[in-house]
Amino acid sequence: MRIYTENQIVKNNLIRCPICEATNIDTGGEIVCRRCREKIHDYKSISFHKTVAFLITAIILYIPANLYPILVTKKFGIVHESTILGGIMHLWEAGSYPIALIILFASVFVPILKFIFIIYLLISTKFSLKSSKIDRHKLFYITEVIGSWSMVDVFVVAILSVLIHFSIVEIIPGNGATAFALMVFFTMLSAKSFDIRLIKEGY
Amino acid sequence: MENSELDSFIICKKCHTLHRKIKLHHGTKALCQRCNTLLYRHHQNFIDRLLALSLVEFIALIIAFSFTIIKININGIYRGLDFSSIFYTIFHNHYYIVGVILIFFIFIFPIVILLSLILALILMKLKKSKYLVKRLLILIAKVSHWSMIDIFLLSILVAMVKLFSYAQLEFNVAFIALILVILLDIFTLKRISFSDIWEEYENIYRKSNSKK
Repeated sequence: MRIYTENQIVKNNLIRCPICEATNIDTGGEIVCRRCREKIHDYKSISFHKTVAFLITAIILYIPANLYPILVTKKFGIVHESTILGGIMHLWEAGSYPIALIILFASVFVPILKFIFIIYLLISTKFSLKSSKIDRHKLFYITEVIGSWSMVDVFVVAILSVLIHFSIVEIIPGNGATAFALMVFFTMLSAKSFDIRLIKEGY
Repeated sequence: MENSELDSFIICKKCHTLHRKIKLHHGTKALCQRCNTLLYRHHQNFIDRLLALSLVEFIALIIAFSFTIIKININGIYRGLDFSSIFYTIFHNHYYIVGVILIFFIFIFPIVILLSLILALILMKLKKSKYLVKRLLILIAKVSHWSMIDIFLLSILVAMVKLFSYAQLEFNVAFIALILVILLDIFTLKRISFSDIWEEYENIYRKSNSKK
């Protein structure tokens, strides 16, 4: 059975603490939560610049993550290197369509979607766009939730490098894995440092 | 605005719509009117139940960390996968950054979250050390985004499909323990919103303060 709470009109001066979920009054600057006494947000300009800085770092790291091999296979002394896209194509050709789609979604679509979402949210704070605030709140929520999904590829490489370690065939991680793991880390930081008040009021 | 007046409000985590809280009947839950996200629910024996589930989850996590997850057999040669071998191989191949990230995301953070939750719940049950409970709850909230043990299970499944065609696979006890951890996680931290735990925290310590 569902019971709805009495809906209230969105009051712009109330804000949710991301740690203890208590309702707080937004004073505009730096806020400390009344319940858990933790800092809710920096000054808006600081969190804006932090988000941009982390995002740029992540985008830069995305380039080597795709260009360098993520997986190196040594078979009878012959070294074969495969990048993320190469691996997906290989899986597709081998007929493992579901796995190819999972990797394609987790390693290619999710990071790009996150970049686009964060850039869109940042732009929408500077210019008044037509999209509703509720949609942008949802977009930010999705960005936070899908954040860790991109790590699948790095974990798979780590698992394969443990399991396939024989004298004739060996799998080791490539430099792309480091760049990719760092890229995921920085996009998560970027999403974390984004101030939701920017959605409400703009910069 | 008074604190008590602020306490009567809750903001949806997804669409940030403001709602006024109402008292719920047994077994019911409150959903956001705009996006149907769970706001809070009525709990019975909240702390006891959560504590029991987290203790089981902790035991399962220890098993998952200590034993072999899967074994592969290629032409009679066996290789096993466990957590220590993952970290050893990554560090052995000089991928220190990936190694550190992996250790934190799939080993340290899940353990820290569960241990802090268990400790916080025990202290809340004993109605002791308010400050420590608060710090532990803050720690859980901060770290919970970074625990990726569920993604790790998905990665094992992906790796298994990749190996399926040229190796025989054997599931071991840690694999079942890992599935148990993920299932229990859904019933504990993923199902319960943090506001419920914090409200329980406020109720417990307000009562014990007023007794004094």
